[in-house]
Amino acid sequence: MASLQQVKSASGQFVERKTLRVLNQPLIASGTLLYVAPDQVQKITVSPQRERLALSGDMLTVEGGPDDRTRTMSLASNPEVAAFVEGIRATLAGDLPALERFYTVQFAGGPTSWQIELQPRDERLRKLVQWIRIGGSGDLIRAVNTEQGDGDHSEMSIVEDIHDAH
Amino acid sequence: MRIERRVALGLWIIGLAICGAVIARTSLSTDMAAFLPRSPSAAQQVLVDQVRNGVVSRLILLGLDGAPPDALTALSRNLGQRLRGDPAFLAVNNGEEAGLSGERDYLWRNRYLMSPGVAADRFTAAGLRKALESDLRLLQSDIGVLVEQSLPADPTGEILTLIDQFAGSARPHSRNGVWMSADDRRAVLLVETRAAGFDIDAQQQDLAAIGDAVAAAKRDISGAAEARLVESGPAVFAVQTRASMQRDATRFSLIATVVVATLLLFAYRSLRALLLGLLPVASGALAGIAAVALGFGFVHGITLGFGVTLIGESVDYAIYLFTQTDPGTSPAATLSRIWPTLRLGMATSIAGFSAMLFSSFTGFAQLGLFSITGLVVALVVTRWVLPALLPRGFAAPSAGFFATPLLLLMARARQLRLPVLLLTLIGAALLLTHRGGFWQEDLAALSPIPAADQALDRALRHDLGAPDVRYLVVLTAPDEQQALQASARISTLLDGLVPQGALSGYDAPDRILPSDAAQRARQAALPPPEILQVRLQEALAGLPFRAEIFAPFLRDAAAARAAPLLTTAALPPALKLQFASMLFERKGEWIAVLSLSGVHDAARIAASIAGLRQPGLALVDLKHDSDQLLRTYQREAVLLALVGSFVILLLLLTSLRSPARVFAIVAPLVASVVVTAALLTVGGRKLSIFNLVGLLLIIAVGSNYALFFERQRREQAHRERSTASLALANLCTDFGFGILSFSGIPVLHDIGITVACGTFLSLIFSAILSTGGAGERRAAAAVDGAPRLGARVGDR
Repeated sequence: MASLQQVKSASGQFVERKTLRVLNQPLIASGTLLYVAPDQVQKITVSPQRERLALSGDMLTVEGGPDDRTRTMSLASNPEVAAFVEGIRATLAGDLPALERFYTVQFAGGPTSWQIELQPRDERLRKLVQWIRIGGSGDLIRAVNTEQGDGDHSEMSIVEDIHDAH
Repeated sequence: MRIERRVALGLWIIGLAICGAVIARTSLSTDMAAFLPRSPSAAQQVLVDQVRNGVVSRLILLGLDGAPPDALTALSRNLGQRLRGDPAFLAVNNGEEAGLSGERDYLWRNRYLMSPGVAADRFTAAGLRKALESDLRLLQSDIGVLVEQSLPADPTGEILTLIDQFAGSARPHSRNGVWMSADDRRAVLLVETRAAGFDIDAQQQDLAAIGDAVAAAKRDISGAAEARLVESGPAVFAVQTRASMQRDATRFSLIATVVVATLLLFAYRSLRALLLGLLPVASGALAGIAAVALGFGFVHGITLGFGVTLIGESVDYAIYLFTQTDPGTSPAATLSRIWPTLRLGMATSIAGFSAMLFSSFTGFAQLGLFSITGLVVALVVTRWVLPALLPRGFAAPSAGFFATPLLLLMARARQLRLPVLLLTLIGAALLLTHRGGFWQEDLAALSPIPAADQALDRALRHDLGAPDVRYLVVLTAPDEQQALQASARISTLLDGLVPQGALSGYDAPDRILPSDAAQRARQAALPPPEILQVRLQEALAGLPFRAEIFAPFLRDAAAARAAPLLTTAALPPALKLQFASMLFERKGEWIAVLSLSGVHDAARIAASIAGLRQPGLALVDLKHDSDQLLRTYQREAVLLALVGSFVILLLLLTSLRSPARVFAIVAPLVASVVVTAALLTVGGRKLSIFNLVGLLLIIAVGSNYALFFERQRREQAHRERSTASLALANLCTDFGFGILSFSGIPVLHDIGITVACGTFLSLIFSAILSTGGAGERRAAAAVDGAPRLGARVGDR
């Protein structure tokens, strides 16, 4: 966690594979992830459709998308959305207190290969997000896997290309 | 005591008893709408009602500031929770989901009857295919998680259509999930009360409840101790206006009574004379209130506030009687001597006030009736009741002290005429060259709401993304269903104009409750379950969806086909209220009001609406209409003032039968009106309608002084006493009206300052212009003798 705190900004390529109970085959998307300390995260999807998700403070903005509209929402008013994204952002920031406010946190592995498992503290939210597992090595994040509990889950692998740490 | 006097006394007491009984049954109104113009057209009246009784009038805008942002958001949540638990509030919105849950549930259950998206082609195989493809794209996106929950029951996305419609276009900025101003300095909440806006007692309790809830919430939240509550909205204004009106009316009546009584006590040096002098005033006020109560069914608080001015005006009659009665002569003799002048003075005052009876402002009409009745009764009581009550041999001191300055002016009248003429010409020149005209064109300046409160209201509305509605589409129809159908046609038209940028959004009654025909059409658009199932299978072919998950969709669509139609009775409370303010019956006609937001191209909207060629349909621009109204009322006020002045002139001409004498009376009045108007506009200020009414009253009141001065021209006896009585009477009037100028309520302030200034000037100008040159020498002699004549009555 301490080494993650040193990261000022980072970017990487992601490939996300979503398995949804309403579909009989997985959905695959790819694009770029950007992070600027302490609380800005952007996920720019390039394929199969362009879309930009930006998280800044409490506000989540989704642009582009299938109907080409901009949606803005507050994480505090949409706890179900917050349950998905807050874990990733707090991990990127190396902000353990923020993680522990939302989730029970378990660590496994060592500095070269580690894994954090997050479980929402709120029982209602655990029905939406069973757990989020974030894996990495050193101050790099390699994978984010999310289990939704109703049969939906997603696996995202990340290859970092720019990394600015002090 | 002679029979005649006993009869007069008896009639007076009976009259007072009747007035008392009438007043006891009368309700007092403080609704400021009485001092806003009565609307000329039915459509305007609808709008005024809308503002007074509609959902808009129930909204209270709250702001919390003065503490760190996170403390404010916590405070907002805590306050929201407290107010939602109080049945006095129908809805409490601060950005939290809790504020919307009831409506969302209703929309979800009735989505197939309510969504304008439900049409036959949507439920064909091709239509369903299109919807499913769009769903797939949504699932792929990052917001997929939001639609996945509702997808199995709503693949065509009707709930999204409805929520978009209800969420409106402007959403406030939010922080930690609650609404904040853009700079994070103020948390904002929108509260809807159960009580109507005009129910001021209930609104006052609601505001107290909000204050208590904020105090309690501040104790719960650390760091919020310094937080401050600001409130705005129609109900807040109504409560504040009533409070300030009651405060001003009672305070100023009291002050005026004390000041006038002190002045009279000083002049008469007799408590008995003072009390007797106030009898005509009190009788006049009682009769005036009773007359208004009988004529209008209610008495406005402001009318009572102006009761103050009646004190100043009607106390004059007793002053003339007391002060002009020489020691050793009988009051009856004085009365018969000054009666013609008193009578003509009263007649000119009545002519002036009666112009107000025809005003479109209910408040002014009341004021006119109140003053006319009050003056007539005060004069009648002075003429027939007071002499019966005066002790034998009564005489008040001459109060020569008051006469001295005027006698000095009269002595130099010849030299002073030119300066008065010059002053009047300068005043007229200033008025004619006043930059941008001298009329107040801004309706807000007439509002009893202080400018600071109006600014706060604008700031809170801006923060809430709820700007004041300016454009409305109003339509009428013979029944509710036809009104809803017409509203739906307008909605369709507006839907077409939104993407073109003519407006950003609108609220329409058919969106809350579609017409029966529209609901039936939607039921008919849904295919029977077995057909829908076949079409869905066809649409799913080749798509990665699992077919079995759509069972809830088939079930809900089948249920909607057979569901009973939605009616107003089934609406959740907040929607029901909102609906009632948008569609209502009036005199057998149904009126629908659609409010538009973010209007950029009003001309285009107006043209599109005109293109429908539907009778009883109009785009209303509230700002334009209220500006138009203001101009109409200015014209009306000018007309009334001119007619009033003309009637006074006619009255003087027929009574005096001498153009020269009439000129002597009219000249000082014209001079004082012009100079007063010029003084009021000094420094670029503008004249309001209220100032204009004040100018008319200068003529009505000031004509009395001119008449008495003109009378002295021909009657040299009693000059000193007569002049003293005029000075005293004028001082009382000046104080009565002058005290009103300290009120913060524009109508009281404007009329008060205009009349006080104008009547004072008219006394001085009358002394200079109305007295003929013949009396000047004697006036000078009277000045020398003044101190001697001013000795106390008791000393004689």
